[in-house]
Amino acid sequence: MATLFRRRAQRTHVERVRHRRHEGFLRYANFRWAKISGMLCLLIVASYALVDVTPRPNGGSWYGYTLGTIGAALILWLTALGYRKRRMTSDYWSLKAWTSAHVYLGLSLIVIGTWHTGFQLGWNVHTLTWALMMLVILSGLYGVIVYATLPAVLSNNREQMTQMQMLEAIRAFDRQLHAAAQPLTAEDTAPVLAALDEDPFAGGIRARLTGRYPRCATAAALRALAGSHAADAEARGKVVGLLRQKEAALARLRRHLRLRALLEIWVYVHVPLSFALIVALSAHIVSVFFYW
Amino acid sequence: MSFILRRIATTKTGKQIVRDQPLPGDTITLGRESGNGIHIPDLAVNPHHATIGSSDGRHVHVAAQEGLGFDLNGRTLDAADIDSAAGAELRFGGHRLTVAREGDAIVLLVERIDELSQSSKDVDEAKAFSLAGTMPGKRLGAWTFAILVFLAFLAGPIWAWHSYRQVDERPGGYHADLAWSSGPLSSAHKSLKGDCQSCHVDAFVAVTDKACVGCHTGEHKAMSAAHANAPTAMLLAARHPPGVGERILAGFAKTFNRPQGRCVDCHTEHEGAGPMPATPQKFCADCHDGMQARLVKAGFEPTVADAADFGTLHPEFRPLVRTAPGAKPVRAALSKGAIVDQGGLKFPHDLHLQANGGVARMAASFRGRHGFGQKLECANCHRPDADGVRIRPVEMERDCAMCHSLAFETVGGVTRTLRHGEPRQVVADLIAYYRSTPPTRPLQLGGMERRRPGQYAEGQVYNIYFREVAARPNRAEDAVRAVFSKGGACYDCHTIFAPAAGNDWRVMAVNQTPRFLTKGWFDHDAHRETDCADCHVAATRSKAASDLLIPGLRQCRDCHVGEGGARLVKVATATESPCAMCHEYHSDGGKPWVPARQRRKGSAAIADRPPPAAQAVSLITGTEARGLYDGTWRSSAPKLASTTGRGG
Repeated sequence: MATLFRRRAQRTHVERVRHRRHEGFLRYANFRWAKISGMLCLLIVASYALVDVTPRPNGGSWYGYTLGTIGAALILWLTALGYRKRRMTSDYWSLKAWTSAHVYLGLSLIVIGTWHTGFQLGWNVHTLTWALMMLVILSGLYGVIVYATLPAVLSNNREQMTQMQMLEAIRAFDRQLHAAAQPLTAEDTAPVLAALDEDPFAGGIRARLTGRYPRCATAAALRALAGSHAADAEARGKVVGLLRQKEAALARLRRHLRLRALLEIWVYVHVPLSFALIVALSAHIVSVFFYW
Repeated sequence: MSFILRRIATTKTGKQIVRDQPLPGDTITLGRESGNGIHIPDLAVNPHHATIGSSDGRHVHVAAQEGLGFDLNGRTLDAADIDSAAGAELRFGGHRLTVAREGDAIVLLVERIDELSQSSKDVDEAKAFSLAGTMPGKRLGAWTFAILVFLAFLAGPIWAWHSYRQVDERPGGYHADLAWSSGPLSSAHKSLKGDCQSCHVDAFVAVTDKACVGCHTGEHKAMSAAHANAPTAMLLAARHPPGVGERILAGFAKTFNRPQGRCVDCHTEHEGAGPMPATPQKFCADCHDGMQARLVKAGFEPTVADAADFGTLHPEFRPLVRTAPGAKPVRAALSKGAIVDQGGLKFPHDLHLQANGGVARMAASFRGRHGFGQKLECANCHRPDADGVRIRPVEMERDCAMCHSLAFETVGGVTRTLRHGEPRQVVADLIAYYRSTPPTRPLQLGGMERRRPGQYAEGQVYNIYFREVAARPNRAEDAVRAVFSKGGACYDCHTIFAPAAGNDWRVMAVNQTPRFLTKGWFDHDAHRETDCADCHVAATRSKAASDLLIPGLRQCRDCHVGEGGARLVKVATATESPCAMCHEYHSDGGKPWVPARQRRKGSAAIADRPPPAAQAVSLITGTEARGLYDGTWRSSAPKLASTTGRGG
């Protein structure tokens, strides 16, 4: 009797903890969709090993047709997340449930699609479809991983500042720099001017993703002023101090931009390739029936 | 003469405050330093950037001082003369200086037009902080990729198909629909690689048999008689009940108009380069495993027994035999004891195959001729076809006459023989012989030696001889009788009918069956390393030609197991044998087709190598099977009809 009560007490404790804790789309409903798609994958792998398909396993056998139909339907449903997330609903599935299913069923598509091929790959539209599907899934997997890890890093980097506050800090340093640099000589002014002229959002996708800005004008100005021997050492010292502060603020902003880029880049693969996949899938299906 | 410096400030509410400040003197300076008449706090402006002067109160002369110029109407200048009545806009760093005239005064309006720094510019937060400002839009990417894939993999292939619709053979090179090929074609169809339409003729219509027989006009043209003559209902009833998978496949086939029973159902393509795979056993076993029961249930009479796997489930052979001489061949079950096949000959195999004895001694006396060794071998009399697959019927002149001579006279060194196969000619030849040749004249009657007078014996010999000469033609009848009777040349091997009711001597017709097992295929050539007696085990003990010496299933199973290696008995060197090794679905009389790399695989390993001593003997006598299997692989399909009913 005592054990019974203790167990119940434990359970209520667990429930309370669960309510308090944020439940993301990954652990939604105690990993319901992870379990479902895991079972689906196990079922496919096991049945593939057990079913004797003649003459040899490929997409054209009954087993291949079955997996192919499931896979095609799944791909279309997975794409529908883009539509679903733009519709505010309260009575249908929550977006969290939908996203959870999207992630886990999407991962199970690796098994469904690959086992559908019967491991026959070549240079053709069929393998192209498979490859696009794998790219979309892998980019999505990357997205899930960065969504799970990067937001904490992003938050640490911000230190309670908003994006605009970060930019505002740079603007403030720019104004102070502009004022402080007025007494400087023409040679010393030029690098400061270049630093002021630098767009903090400049730099291509490469700079965004790596966070490396080798031609940073602020750093260059620092180097130039540190090595300058012109008069007005006092004013120059003030400018150098301001440039250091601006560089630190800029570095924070750039780390922020890098993290955001890492968080977003996968969508630029995931979404366009999803549409390419749907067209390739259509071509794959049409080709099968066209040259039946 | 005065300049008025005008500055406009904008309050936070957007209200503009205009402040005018008169500047005394004809020349004023402009620069970043606060001592200038016009002080511009702009790092892009030099401390003493320019002077602005006017001599007549109307024209303004602007001159740059420290190297950096200014912009006038978009051009960078070091000096400029400006008519203030016409007005002008000059640019110093991030500031704009507008020259205008109001009454007598020249108004210089100074305002900052550029932001203090790049970061001070307004930004769209949503765009600037995300990748949206850096990457091409997702929508653009989606459309681009989608259109590319559509053109290359859907529109292109369909266009390629459309443009060659009425063309018999496509030109070489790349065609867009090659991207649809699900895998390389087999080596036999390699030349069709770029020509999808050679098989896929119509869009959305599954490959038809017509496309196959367009080229395969010969051996593979039709199904076998057994399969084609059976009513469709019977063929359908023979199929095993479909499993879940087959029902799914049938559903797809039905929904998408894909007929069953086409060539390509078994002969699958696009399965990779190399030879087309041999049809697996399962295609046969799908129907033949448990078929009898299904046929009976469906009201048909089964004609063949169930077969599923050669190693485990295969009916005993049913060779074609003649129960009586000259009778029509019927199938006999080997499992039901000894079987006789009445071919009409008398031939004791045991006598001929004895290692010693009269036959062996005779063979040894011929050693080195006719391929004979120390004793007779099977191959001395049984010779294979040109392609080595089958054994030719025995021919008297070629295969027996080495020993069983029909010679009866020598004329001038030429031996005359009785005509084999023509009994009436034999009779005629013997009569002619006795008519034309007198008996040997005794010495007493023709010699030159002296005779004793009155010797009686001479008259006796004379009488004997001339009575003989007179009776000589009549002796022919005795000789004819002798040759056709017991102990005579014909009688030893043939069954003879004595003359009766207007008939002459007759010899029973001999029927040699060219192929006892007509439903399957046995290739002697593939078994050349195996001794004849290894399979034809009863030969050395057989006393009569009517003994059927065809090996049974048991002998085959000494080496051959099922496709998957299934077996009922212990097998030393197993040869995996799918149905197609012996049976041909199409049954066109040709040898069952086997991919090149599977032909005669490891057959040498099956055969027991002869001991070294045997080699020593064969050096003297020549190899035992000399010339027996010197055929080529499938030179031409043998014509069965030409061999039937021959021999005797």
